[in-house]
Amino acid sequence: MMLLELEQASYRYPNGGVGLEACSLAIRRGSRNALIGANGSGKTTLFQHCNGLLRPQSGVLRYAGTVLDYSRSGLRQLRSKVGLVFQNPDHQLFSASVQEDVSFGPFNLGLDEATVRRRVSAALDAVGMAGFAERAVHNLSFGQKKRVCIAGVLAMEPELLVLDEPMAGLDHAMKTEFLAVLDGLHAQGITLLLATHDIDLAYRWADYIHLIDSGVCTASLPAADLAYRDDALSALGLPLPTVVELQRRLTARGLLPKGLLPRTHSELLTLLDNTYDGKEAPCC
Amino acid sequence: MLIEQSAYANRWRRVSPAAKAAFALCGFIGAFVAGTPSAAVAVAGLLAVVTMAGAGVSPGRYLRVAVPALFFLSISCLSLAFSLDFKGEAQAMTFKLTPAGLQQVADVSARSLAALAALLFLVLTTPLIDLIALLRRLKTPELLLEMMVLCYRMLFVFSAAVHDTLTAQSARLGYATTGLALRSLGGLAASLTLQIWQRAHDLHVAAQARNNDGPLRFLEPRFANCGRDGALAAASGGALITLAVWLS
Repeated sequence: MMLLELEQASYRYPNGGVGLEACSLAIRRGSRNALIGANGSGKTTLFQHCNGLLRPQSGVLRYAGTVLDYSRSGLRQLRSKVGLVFQNPDHQLFSASVQEDVSFGPFNLGLDEATVRRRVSAALDAVGMAGFAERAVHNLSFGQKKRVCIAGVLAMEPELLVLDEPMAGLDHAMKTEFLAVLDGLHAQGITLLLATHDIDLAYRWADYIHLIDSGVCTASLPAADLAYRDDALSALGLPLPTVVELQRRLTARGLLPKGLLPRTHSELLTLLDNTYDGKEAPCC
Repeated sequence: MLIEQSAYANRWRRVSPAAKAAFALCGFIGAFVAGTPSAAVAVAGLLAVVTMAGAGVSPGRYLRVAVPALFFLSISCLSLAFSLDFKGEAQAMTFKLTPAGLQQVADVSARSLAALAALLFLVLTTPLIDLIALLRRLKTPELLLEMMVLCYRMLFVFSAAVHDTLTAQSARLGYATTGLALRSLGGLAASLTLQIWQRAHDLHVAAQARNNDGPLRFLEPRFANCGRDGALAAASGGALITLAVWLS
């Protein structure tokens, strides 16, 4: 079942710049989605449409099958279900302490203090920041700030979490931790949509991949199909995932059986180990 | 930053801010009721000892925070101690040091020292976020509190922006000569002006994304033993005021 659908949405900025151009996108409930596109391709504009911050000048946005009502109450309802995490945490965090900032969204939903306290505590727990509740925001590292941003949105208990380039500025260890956090949220049933430039990450993590170029969603496909869509990727100037290139080369040289599609390097290594378990690999 | 570090790292971080504010208030009252300079100095000394020995603020940090305020205090004292006099046919300007002026300096500076010590006790032991929460409980106008929260947060965002821009300019010899430094400073000011506008817009959008369409509401921190802390603060504050009166 589709949770969020954008149909033929177009948006132009007041300065004439194209934000979206007849863009269509569908997000399935409970799925993990990666939106891939170059800088300036319209990812942030698309995300701001998902949260109702921008309204398409033509086309429609549907949430759970219903066309979005852009009235005050309609937007309140959408924003309580679709949480948007911004790329730069300093653009999102404006309270003095971690706990205060995370409580901001739930209070805006009109919840009582006891419920807000419970939600804040659960959200900080979910992102591994429970011990930082009373810390000042400016004393946190970049990665910690990103986690607090997610907690601030999680505390509103959204159905769809939209993350604008969450991996930007994170080192390898932070990325791994961050993915573990996202996997935990997915296990709780939250639908995830994130923007990234990292094709390898998208291929190994996402269930569905959406490609965007110049405000147009050029393709939406199951992540496993990406290995066969060189055309769609090259049209955006993107390479194939490294693991796919490696698997193709190994298969072409007869080192791997045909038809196997590992999504990660560790899966590829396991396949190689299984293929040559106790045997000697043929000489290249 | 020094104040900030101390406020978060002192031994009394978890003591109720209301109790600390009450004790600081007693310190202010003690400063005003002290009838002699020596009584006011005793109040100042006690408050400083409580801050350093009780809350565990290091003497070095305490002095470094106090130095700018002490500098301004000494300038003010100098202007109080000396008076201008125009004498003779030539109306030559002379500075005069009078005993009355010296007494006034002693009174004012001792009281100011005590008041400064009370203020330092509060700010070096209590993070601003706790003070804002306390002000909220005391029914301070919401608009004022929202401005305080945003200004406090922006202070750090902009200090990071200033640092980044300065580093980028210095890396390209932006401050190599006086002329270049002036030009770079102008660029820095212009860049910050734009950033302020951009950041304000970004924060507005971020607040909207989290369903905000009215006042900014936040969760307030909770403190254990508020009653005990309050009683202790009231008792010790009362003792401080009594001491100030007794020494006068």
